[in-house]
Amino acid sequence: MKLKKMLTVGAAVFGLGLFAAQAQAADKVKLEFWTMNLAPKFDPYFKQAVTKFNAANPTLEAVWVDMNWDQIQPKLIASLAAGNPPALVNFNVPWVHEFAAQGNIIPLDQYLGADKAIYSTQALADVTVKGKVYAFPWYNSVSILAYNKTIFDKAGVKVDQLKSFDALLAAAKQINEKTGVDGFAPKMSDPIGMFYYLGLPVVENGKAVFNSPKHVAAVQKFADLYKAGAIPKDIFKMAFEQEIAAYNSGKIAMMTTAPQALKRTETDAKAVYDVTGVAQFPLDAGKMSFGAWMMDFVVPKGFKNPADAAKLGKFLTGDEQQLLFAKATETTFPTTKKANLDPYFQAGANSKDPIEQARAVAAKAMDGARTLTLTPGTLTDEAAATKVLADNFQAAVEGRKPVKEALDAAVAVWNTKIAK
Amino acid sequence: MKNSSSYTAVAYLFLAPALILMGIFTFWPVGYNTYLAFHDYAIADGTATWNNFEHFKYIYHEDLFHSALKNSLLYLLVVPCIQLAALVIAKLVNNKLPGMTFFRATYYIPVITAISVAGVAWAFVYKYDGMLNGFLTWVSHFIGYHSGFERVEIDWIGNPDIAIYSVMVFTFWKGLGYYMVLYLAGLQAIPTEVEEAAILDGANAWDRFWKITVPMVKPTILLCTLLSTIAAMKAFQEVIVLTKGQSDTYTALFYVYDQAFRNYNFGRAAAAGLVVTFFCMILAIIQFRFFGDKK
Repeated sequence: MKLKKMLTVGAAVFGLGLFAAQAQAADKVKLEFWTMNLAPKFDPYFKQAVTKFNAANPTLEAVWVDMNWDQIQPKLIASLAAGNPPALVNFNVPWVHEFAAQGNIIPLDQYLGADKAIYSTQALADVTVKGKVYAFPWYNSVSILAYNKTIFDKAGVKVDQLKSFDALLAAAKQINEKTGVDGFAPKMSDPIGMFYYLGLPVVENGKAVFNSPKHVAAVQKFADLYKAGAIPKDIFKMAFEQEIAAYNSGKIAMMTTAPQALKRTETDAKAVYDVTGVAQFPLDAGKMSFGAWMMDFVVPKGFKNPADAAKLGKFLTGDEQQLLFAKATETTFPTTKKANLDPYFQAGANSKDPIEQARAVAAKAMDGARTLTLTPGTLTDEAAATKVLADNFQAAVEGRKPVKEALDAAVAVWNTKIAK
Repeated sequence: MKNSSSYTAVAYLFLAPALILMGIFTFWPVGYNTYLAFHDYAIADGTATWNNFEHFKYIYHEDLFHSALKNSLLYLLVVPCIQLAALVIAKLVNNKLPGMTFFRATYYIPVITAISVAGVAWAFVYKYDGMLNGFLTWVSHFIGYHSGFERVEIDWIGNPDIAIYSVMVFTFWKGLGYYMVLYLAGLQAIPTEVEEAAILDGANAWDRFWKITVPMVKPTILLCTLLSTIAAMKAFQEVIVLTKGQSDTYTALFYVYDQAFRNYNFGRAAAAGLVVTFFCMILAIIQFRFFGDKK
């Protein structure tokens, strides 16, 4: 009997407590924001951001959730279906276009208002779909050019002459002729990105157009370079890691990569690091910095308080927080105009240390940072189409197929797979 | 006295744990895959809409799938090689000589090595300035074929004419020990008297191998051939770690993977997977005809 009484009282107390807690929580709007692959390394950054935001907005409660990049989409889709999406989700640029086309994220123009002006023009252009901005631009990165001064001296190449992509290719050839070392190892796995960088279109008016004389001439340059031996023979097998290894061992004279790769040179190959200079990767006809990949925040459709979500979005991607985040990562860059001019980035411009130099060079190049990819949904079978293009591109560069023939073959396949 | 029906019940009871697991992890996925192959599956809301044989029609006309399937079938070349080598090695390490355990263990090490780790190591072997070319350069200098700074520069996994064979060699190396152990078990089940009698009758080692060993391990040969055929048709991991499908090494399961996880077209991936299963079954039937017991 006693036990029963105790249980009744206990349950009542528990219920009351639960009710009180819920009532308190109900006062605040919970703003869950999802990021990809940033925990636990950046826990301190997000802790301060959340504390600061919550203190400044007593009626809102920001909650940070980090997950692996490949979980973001399935989880978001599940939460959309269940009707309880988070306030903000960390997306890359292609996803923004994909979800905007599906109507699963909302346009943010009305919430951005005059604050639109704080972001760089290119960053806004990346996340603009049919004239509407669909995401808050966040962090970004670009490739820089690190070069081995000793090899440059031997080959008689001056860094000032690397003002265009053609000049870069010519330098690679010259380096190879004079020193026997490969010039550089441009990333060949993504011909589409290469075309965009060179200012060449890929699909126009529902047709693949990358077999024009201009495209053929561009690919022919790579084929000539390959034939001359000025780029590594296994260039198509080289990714981030292999490029750093080749540069560190003196097998290539230039490294085209994100500034953080220089940290590896510093620790793994001090001798090479000591003779390393840094320059901006030249812009080409595409007028875009090489190797950009922007991150951003979107507001899923169906979130009940979009204005509050936007408030958090603007806070996280504002000058102050972007600068703090860039300082925490040391290798990424803000997408707001003001933050990139901060002394933190520019202090290294005249430094002797390649990493500090690289930071200054890359921050300056952020103006041209565009993340251009094929608009999602252009192709009905993207995996197969990109594979066919990559294979033909490789065959052309390696000299197993005439360039025109290879590009024609890929265009023919693409035209059967372009969504009507 | 228990009657036969209660024996059956008990038997099923003992089978139940394994059957339940197989049901969940094998039969259900196979069934669901078959269901998906005839549907358009929308990942967003999890709905599947019937679309008849559309996916099969698509892959029937898809050149990339044809070349992928051709590569998977070509991969079957590894089966006879690996079976013969595994049987011969099993026979060799089945001797009671000192140090045999060492050899058995050595051949088995690749089996337990993670494929990603082995792949990185083999990529170094196959690089055009890697270990294999280094060794061949040394040999060619030794026999006087090359001189001075000339080097052997074969792009083992970059040249589309030979890349798939290089990947097969990797599979061969990786799987040899596994089949060796299975054959070893089969060999140890052969009574020694049979072999002794043959020796007394004057049969030489060659005859004994073909007339005694091979017929007596026939059930093991069937098992191993089946397993390695299925493994060859399913070649994917070795390709992704060594060549990422470049240089004409794109296999049928790589196509399935690309369709599912790059295109998110699970219906088409399921259809392509079903076609691979179909080929596996045909090959299994052929093998049962060849090596199975005739009743």
